[in-house]
Amino acid sequence: MLCGFKSNLMKSTFKYLYFLSFILLITACSSDDSTEIDEEKPTITVNYTTGFPQGCAFLTRGETYNFRAMVTDNSQLAAYSIDIHHNFDHHTHDDQVRDCNLGALQQAENPLIFVENYTIAGSKTSYEINIPVTIPNDIDTGDYHCAYSVTDATGWQSRTSIDIKIVE
Amino acid sequence: MFQKILVIGLLCSLCTTVFAQDFFQIKGIVQHAKDLTPAQGATILGKNLYAVSSASGAFTINNVIEGTYSFTVSHIGCEPTTFSVIVGQNMKEVKVFLIEATTVLDEVKVNGKTRKREALEVPIVSQTVSKEFLDQNRENTLMQTLSKVAGVSTINIGSGQSKPVIRGLGFNRVAVVQNGIKHEAQQWGNDHGLEIDQHGIENIQIIKGPASLLYGSDAIAGVVDIQPNQTPLPNSFGGEVNIIGESNNDLLGVSAGVTSRKDKWFYRSRLTYRDYGDYKVPADRINYENYVFKLDDNNLRNTAGNEANASLGIGYVTEGFKSETVFSNVNAKNGFFANAHGLEVRTSSIDYDSANRDVDLPYHKVNHFKITNNTSISAGEHVLHLDLGYQNNNREEHSEPVPHGYMPTPPNTKERLFVKNTYSLNFRDSFNLTDQHNMVVGLNTEYQNNNIGGWGFLIPEYNRFTAGVFAYDQFKVNSNFYVLAGLRYDVGRIDTKAYYDWYPSTVHNADGSISYIHQQRSKNKTFDFGSLSASLGLSYIQDKTSYKLNVGRSFRMPLANELASDGVNYHMYRYERGNLDVDPEISYQLDLSVEHTENHFSIGVSPFVNIFQNYIYLNPTSNYYETIQIYEYTQAEVFRIGGELNTRATITENLQLDASIEYVYSAQTSGPKKGFTLPFSPPLSGLLSARYQFEKLLFFDKPQLIADYRITAAQEEIVPPEEKTDGYQVLNMSLLSEIEVFKNNLPLKMRVKLNNVFNTKYFNHTSFYRLIDVPEAGRNISLSLTIPF
Repeated sequence: MLCGFKSNLMKSTFKYLYFLSFILLITACSSDDSTEIDEEKPTITVNYTTGFPQGCAFLTRGETYNFRAMVTDNSQLAAYSIDIHHNFDHHTHDDQVRDCNLGALQQAENPLIFVENYTIAGSKTSYEINIPVTIPNDIDTGDYHCAYSVTDATGWQSRTSIDIKIVE
Repeated sequence: MFQKILVIGLLCSLCTTVFAQDFFQIKGIVQHAKDLTPAQGATILGKNLYAVSSASGAFTINNVIEGTYSFTVSHIGCEPTTFSVIVGQNMKEVKVFLIEATTVLDEVKVNGKTRKREALEVPIVSQTVSKEFLDQNRENTLMQTLSKVAGVSTINIGSGQSKPVIRGLGFNRVAVVQNGIKHEAQQWGNDHGLEIDQHGIENIQIIKGPASLLYGSDAIAGVVDIQPNQTPLPNSFGGEVNIIGESNNDLLGVSAGVTSRKDKWFYRSRLTYRDYGDYKVPADRINYENYVFKLDDNNLRNTAGNEANASLGIGYVTEGFKSETVFSNVNAKNGFFANAHGLEVRTSSIDYDSANRDVDLPYHKVNHFKITNNTSISAGEHVLHLDLGYQNNNREEHSEPVPHGYMPTPPNTKERLFVKNTYSLNFRDSFNLTDQHNMVVGLNTEYQNNNIGGWGFLIPEYNRFTAGVFAYDQFKVNSNFYVLAGLRYDVGRIDTKAYYDWYPSTVHNADGSISYIHQQRSKNKTFDFGSLSASLGLSYIQDKTSYKLNVGRSFRMPLANELASDGVNYHMYRYERGNLDVDPEISYQLDLSVEHTENHFSIGVSPFVNIFQNYIYLNPTSNYYETIQIYEYTQAEVFRIGGELNTRATITENLQLDASIEYVYSAQTSGPKKGFTLPFSPPLSGLLSARYQFEKLLFFDKPQLIADYRITAAQEEIVPPEEKTDGYQVLNMSLLSEIEVFKNNLPLKMRVKLNNVFNTKYFNHTSFYRLIDVPEAGRNISLSLTIPF
């Protein structure tokens, strides 16, 4: 292409040809679609009947809860994570519809830290996360966050974050 | 411009003969200001009056009627000089001192050729940006100003920080060179901006292609070469004060510079201060993923900042020798958008909206201290250049301490501290082998010492030494055909230092036990690299058309973060993992440039094709580390093609139209993201400019109205985690004028600029805040006044 481009230069009407060649160069190269690429992010939601936790949910110490969320992807789900951490300093907020009433600011002494990653085997396009988590008896009560995230095989990620409270 | 301020020598000594009544004779002498030798053959031209100076420099103009006359004196190689004389009784002899048109050293180099002609002869495809361009187009940062050049764009971090992107590549792939020394800071960082005072720059050369041959590693995608300022002329003093105010971010800036030279010693100094508030976007809320951030009065909260810069240059120039040492310090502090920094959404009890000019957490501050020395010696056939540099970059990022994963709440706000010292020494010798061959041989060496602090870990401490030797030959085949061929070899060593977390993490061992350990993030390790660069270029000038062709191989040495990072980048909400096995990047590029110039029309195209054998890319994987997505440095083959088109038409004497288009297509052709583009790929974009020169209006001299209409296509080519960006159209207008305040004094220069005339809400694909769906700045009126003295 560049060689053809150069031979044009010698002609008298070259200035128009420059322009044409340049446009050609652009269009020829931008219409390259030899490889199919995945441009879709996976989705993640707890907004269904058995999704857990719902925004502003109360969790009781000593109880075991099944954390459930639906994830989907156009081609292939790969991995997900669950992160439960305290929000005693109100450092962040959730992306759910409701605004929860946060408790007073407090110092963390022995907060619950739940930081786990899981893979989704097989080429699934939809999957329900279902992980039982026992809330220990000795952890600090108060405002917490539950953050889910999911990736697909391409490396796209989606996240959701839910305000919860852990109570006695 | 200070040269223009220069003395128009007009002193009187002797009496002239008085003729009877009406007719008088003007007598005078023309001399070279430098050594007071007579200037023979100078033309002295006035209205209907004309003379040529004799071998002794003397001239006479007879039969002149009483009155005031002004004359222009021209001589080859000298600045045209004007003088006025009152013709009448008791006239004195006029003495005119001519000043050489070029500075002493440029004379050696330019050899009577114009800069433009010289640029045509060098096969390297480059673009020169003048002080005039910078003054007329000045934006908030140097790189924002330069982004008007086709093929150059920026990654902006708010209104006060930006970094260069050339043909879609940035970070450490573009070398920024100032006074011959490569600017070394934390260029790899997403929220790092270039620490260079944009005032007081006279000349920038932009190379839009690989230039490792001349500049070493990091110049793989291009160079922004801020060249040393011109040596002031003997016995000169000049300066300017620039005052600027802007409406969008309530910016107030002042920059003042002076330049002076006695005979051999010269100095220049500049002080710049800028202070700005939060900038405004044409939106009352930011929607990022499922979050909604309401904005107070369209203010992007906590994006205020300030900048204070100082520089002092001291130089000595004599026959065949010139040396200048420049001390400069750039100090800046900038807030980051409070609701989300990078990808991390934050809430805070800080009352950000109480004031628009304060800088709260999160913010960064940086101090860049630099000493450069440029020395040139001409010794017979040889011209030797020596550049020495020392730079100290001190950058801190502060944010509210927040626990993450196993990390408890940190004790203070200092998240990251980088202290980097860079020592540079460059040497080159340029000499003529024969009349046709000009050889340049040289050596570049650089030592970096990078120290870290703060509670966040991203890159390890390291020491890095690089050295390269090069030689190239500029072969003049004939006066219209030039060849440049060169080779270079570089070696480099990086020593990374070990780092352990300051807090313990919970680790589940294979045997079911749990331990609490301070994780090791980096190791003591030595990496050695070597790489070859080569370049072959042709330039051919055929009448009004010039052709350039350049093929080159360039390289870039891996950085410490690419090799050894191992930690959570909270701002980007990702875990970044280095790769000990990355090789130096190798890039091959073919550049072509054709320019055709007619009297009222010019057109230029500069297409390129580029292949990276092993582009180092931070690849988002599907895996997690403690619930944070892992991004891993990998290498992929990359194919890029694109170019720029520039046209200019002079429609009438007063109306000039410019149009330019820039485009880059890039694709990864191997690796985990095969088929995807590269991050921060600029979309197809065009700029239409119209410039109208008005007649003198009241006290406005040379008023010009400029309209810049930017049309940018959508960017559909993305790579995780980017979002597609819609196209946009933005109109900027500016009015430039000179104002004659006092006769005989230099005119004031005024500029009123209206950016984003229609307050269009649009997104810039290559902006740092694009990731969190923050639109570009809204309408802005800026008023700038430059007072020369």
